[in-house]
Amino acid sequence: MNNTSPVADASQTSGNSNGRGGRRTAAPSPWRADAQPGAPRKRKKTSRDEAGSIRALNPGWGYIFTAPFFIMFLIFGLAPVVYSTYIAFFNWDPLELEHPFVGLDNFALLLDDGQFWMAVGNTFSIWFFSTIPAMIMSIGLAAILRNPNLRGATFWRTILLVPNITSVLAIAIIFGQLFGRDFGLINLMLDIFGFDRHIDWITEQIPSHIAIATMITWRWVGYNSLIFLAAMLAIPNELYESASLDGASKWQTFRYVTLPQLRNTITFVLIVGTIGGLQVFAEPLTLGGNFNGGDSRQFSTLTLFLYEQAFVNNKWGYAAAVGIMITLIVLVISAINFWLTRRIASEDSK
Amino acid sequence: MKVMRNLKRISALLLTVFVTLGLVQPAKAATPVTITIWSFGNVIEPWAITEYKKLHPEVTLQIKKGELDAHHQSLITAFLAKKTPDIAAVEVSYSGYFRSYPSYFEDLRKAPYNAGTIEKDYLDWRWDQGVGYDGTVFGLPTDVGGMQVAYRVDLFKKHGLPTDRKAVGALWPTWEKFISTGQKYNSKLTTAEKDSCKKKKICYGFIDNAGTIYNAVLNQASAKYYENNNTKDGKLIYSTNPAVKKAFDTTTKALKANIGTRINSFTSDWNVGMNNGIFATILAPAWMMDYIKQQAPKTKGKWDIADLPGGGGNLGGSQLTIPKSAKNKTAAWEFMSWYLAPAQQLTIFKKYGLFPSASSLYDDAALKNYKDPFFNNAPVGSIYTAGALQLKPIFEGKKQRAIDNIFGQALSRVAIGKQTPAAAWQQALSEIKKSVG
Repeated sequence: MNNTSPVADASQTSGNSNGRGGRRTAAPSPWRADAQPGAPRKRKKTSRDEAGSIRALNPGWGYIFTAPFFIMFLIFGLAPVVYSTYIAFFNWDPLELEHPFVGLDNFALLLDDGQFWMAVGNTFSIWFFSTIPAMIMSIGLAAILRNPNLRGATFWRTILLVPNITSVLAIAIIFGQLFGRDFGLINLMLDIFGFDRHIDWITEQIPSHIAIATMITWRWVGYNSLIFLAAMLAIPNELYESASLDGASKWQTFRYVTLPQLRNTITFVLIVGTIGGLQVFAEPLTLGGNFNGGDSRQFSTLTLFLYEQAFVNNKWGYAAAVGIMITLIVLVISAINFWLTRRIASEDSK
Repeated sequence: MKVMRNLKRISALLLTVFVTLGLVQPAKAATPVTITIWSFGNVIEPWAITEYKKLHPEVTLQIKKGELDAHHQSLITAFLAKKTPDIAAVEVSYSGYFRSYPSYFEDLRKAPYNAGTIEKDYLDWRWDQGVGYDGTVFGLPTDVGGMQVAYRVDLFKKHGLPTDRKAVGALWPTWEKFISTGQKYNSKLTTAEKDSCKKKKICYGFIDNAGTIYNAVLNQASAKYYENNNTKDGKLIYSTNPAVKKAFDTTTKALKANIGTRINSFTSDWNVGMNNGIFATILAPAWMMDYIKQQAPKTKGKWDIADLPGGGGNLGGSQLTIPKSAKNKTAAWEFMSWYLAPAQQLTIFKKYGLFPSASSLYDDAALKNYKDPFFNNAPVGSIYTAGALQLKPIFEGKKQRAIDNIFGQALSRVAIGKQTPAAAWQQALSEIKKSVG
């Protein structure tokens, strides 16, 4: 299993020196190399060898082990995608027995639909308000939890997941009370701090985006912190030791040791967060209690718009066209993310 | 031995697999039946479940409650998948849609249901809301959302208005008078209350939400957005029907007169406002009485009920239906015809305030003389009866829920000052044109 050590050597983490790499070669697992935060470029070279070794180890079994996922994916993932692509070309009223073929009409209408573009804008605005602060908060939380002197670490780590498993409806009720205009807790606090008017968290556009982003942030910060925490725990102690020998302050250690080591994790969280952010649905729905996303559609998101077309207007063909557009947008954003990652990674290996 | 043990294990495992897959059915007791019911809100009251269990111990009612819109939306997908419950509730705002597709429901005129024999027990226009475009009877009417005005006696007194329900009703024979009464009420607000609203904080007002006037006015007309031309889709008349414009204009007048607070119905602010006397009136369908009792129990005795301006009103009400692909159709029919029979409707009205659609009760002394202590001992039975009898039947059109929503949004844009009434009206028309036709 020589192929693991070049990967370990190639990784930018200076902690993966020969000593540690040597320890890793002792474990003859082909998946081990994959688990390391290696440089994508080098991994490409060795990928053929890796695949070969998997086959050598497990002839045929790999397919069986991966089959459950792919079968489920075919049934619940691919089949609906194919079907909805199909109905996007029809005028499809669900209970109607006949569905006239309309060609690309749905797409032409969609590109000309101001409500759709409004939903695109809202979605990105909410994404911005939810992703950036959430990222900073979860890195901060993870840094606190990483502290080896923290008491009851398991308790704190567990409690971080509570928002994530709370029912969205329960969250909506609580946040509805927090963001109530006349009797909400937040406006009450603003009152105490001398803010001279009540903010309407539903009818005003930006406040409504902030309210939705707060719900999303609250829900996902804990989960993301755990991912960051895992990444931080994987940072070799030697780096911190040498940093402290160099007399680095706590902030400097964080800025110059921890943060650079988190770059891949940040990208991962950003991509996953973006895909999730483009599909924000429950929060705007529960904020307005309606599928239109507010009286001026000020917080109508892409998926809410899709749902509205499908189930309020019963235009399944049009809704399917919206779904395809969402897919395209996600693909474009993911491509940009991927390109950025590659760039950052290649700058590192310079 | 080992082989035997393994065999046992395997057969036990296989059995669990088969049972979960539904291939082997566990032994049956004396023909127990489970009726699955999909509903929303308080269509099926919990009292009925315990009561029916006493009469039919072998029947279990399995009730799934959803939100109003989500419930009807999942009903559509259930029809397509042929995975329907035994009984499905259909609300009036969606009955216009489902009347276009009666083929997905059992025709209750036919045997073994023979609904024709009980038709005379029910209010005619409520019965019609469960009739398909081709004459199929797809649902039986539950309650009538007859609408009146719930008002706060203590606040009326404080603001120099009469408090007796007859005198209060006489204040507003028309909607214009209702609006001017609201202005009179608001002129007596304290300076602190007025300042609070000017500073964009809490607005105190006569009515909770002036936007609710729209539906009340519209439902007093004889037609809404559609005209019945005996086709599946009906004819769209929303842009030409003067009743729609009148309802819209009356509401914008009320909005302009600022008789309402800024609170929307069914929000957490609304519940607080109901308790704290932020507003003095609510346009209350009969089912709203129970909602007020639940949300503002401390205001007991401070409320009363007066007649609605313009005479009679309606909001809500449902039909119970049996989908074609239901499994236990006869058991379902037995339950729903029992539940909606006049005797049960009377009990439910007394317990939960759902006003009966069984018109045979309207002369019944038990209904007429029923007084509700929460509402200052108002004879709510006779008040809501009078309102329900004044209503004309309205044709419920296919996509009226969507149209209702769009006009509702237009009115809230006017309410918060984002648009002038004329601009909001125009935008609403073009949005309806786009999404409905």
